[in-house]
Amino acid sequence: MDLDFSPLIDSWRFIASGLGLTIVLSVAAVVCSFVLGLAVGLGRMYGPGWLRVLLVFYIDSMRAIPVFVVLVWIYFAVPIISGHSFDPFWAALIGITIHVAAYVAEVIRAGITSIRKGQTQAGLAIGMSGAQIVRKILLPQATVRMLPAFGSIVSVTIKDTAIAAVIAVPELMRQAETVAGQSYRPIEVFTTVMVIYFLLIFPVTRLIDWFYGRVAHLGRS
Amino acid sequence: MKLDWSIVWQSRWLLFEGALVTILLTALTMLIAVPGGIVLALMRNSRLKPIALFATGFVELFRNLPLLLLVYWAFYVMPVLTGFGLPPFTTGLVALCLNVSAYNSETFRSGINSIRRGQSEAGLALGMSRLEVFRQIVLPQAWRRVLPILASTWVSLFKDTSLVSVIAVGELAHTAMQIRSQSFRVLEMLTAMAAIYWVLGYPQAKIVDWIHRKYGVRE
Repeated sequence: MDLDFSPLIDSWRFIASGLGLTIVLSVAAVVCSFVLGLAVGLGRMYGPGWLRVLLVFYIDSMRAIPVFVVLVWIYFAVPIISGHSFDPFWAALIGITIHVAAYVAEVIRAGITSIRKGQTQAGLAIGMSGAQIVRKILLPQATVRMLPAFGSIVSVTIKDTAIAAVIAVPELMRQAETVAGQSYRPIEVFTTVMVIYFLLIFPVTRLIDWFYGRVAHLGRS
Repeated sequence: MKLDWSIVWQSRWLLFEGALVTILLTALTMLIAVPGGIVLALMRNSRLKPIALFATGFVELFRNLPLLLLVYWAFYVMPVLTGFGLPPFTTGLVALCLNVSAYNSETFRSGINSIRRGQSEAGLALGMSRLEVFRQIVLPQAWRRVLPILASTWVSLFKDTSLVSVIAVGELAHTAMQIRSQSFRVLEMLTAMAAIYWVLGYPQAKIVDWIHRKYGVRE
């Protein structure tokens, strides 16, 4: 078996642009799904009854449907309903956000419910409002406890952005497919891209674990 | 916009077959990846440095890669490594097993490490061999603790099987996408695909919640 890495060297800019887009999409998806997930998580815990039912249904549905299915549905089916076609990047961002936000919401709920009841009661006893208790007592401690779970959500999100390749978002996975197809060197291309993805995801998860190790004591109660 | 849902009913048997392949793929992967995960976890705890190092590398590599990439990689590399072409189903199975074994290994490792040392020491003091200690003392207790996490992994895996559709494994997602491109009933087929996944996946998610409530470790 002879290996030839020259197609990769020739098209490194093409691959690098894909890596850039993967990073942009990952960061955007993480930020959006955390914002949406926080809203959904809090709404599921403190919202009115009908909203809770709705949000539980949404969360469990997202746990049941593959992100691949969500992406192709948004990209191919939504334009038929709405009459407007999406840019693939936005379709991917929306799809991944809708999917990951459900998991973020679950993590937030688990984090908040893990704080002992006495803490809430203490807050109420000194006259704090419900919103104040959530903001000043529950969330600060819960956030620390949620860090390891958030770490794995970030890593899952980066991995999910690769699925955007199936709706032709020119991110790393898609660019790799293109180069592999044009050069007939799939083994070299995909192996190299494997290394790139690993170097991207592994340090991120390690960094979050390390950070958690530093602040874990703040989450104890 | 004119919708024609009859296509879904017409292709019911194809979709049914696709769903069966999805379930078969999930079950087979788990059947291989659970022992695979246990072996990897034991290798990581091994006193022989090279073995532990190999297992750590294997787990960290396959845990930190997008599955889609792994599927493509297996599709192109496996024929070269083995010297002959493999059917897409086997290729997809290999990719899924590599990924899920790595996850399961972490699950079992934390489960095994959560059993107090005193338990194995007590077994050794009674004259049991290390293998007996593992099989009769550590594993049965660890099993209960890892069950909820394995159940979550099962559901993730069930969803992830949709990704092997890119190498033309005839599971649910691939079948639905094929019918979509042949019939041009895009909205109908994609909605049907999502609905079937939902119908199959929703009860699984609920069962996972139940297992977490029943077996979950509480502080």
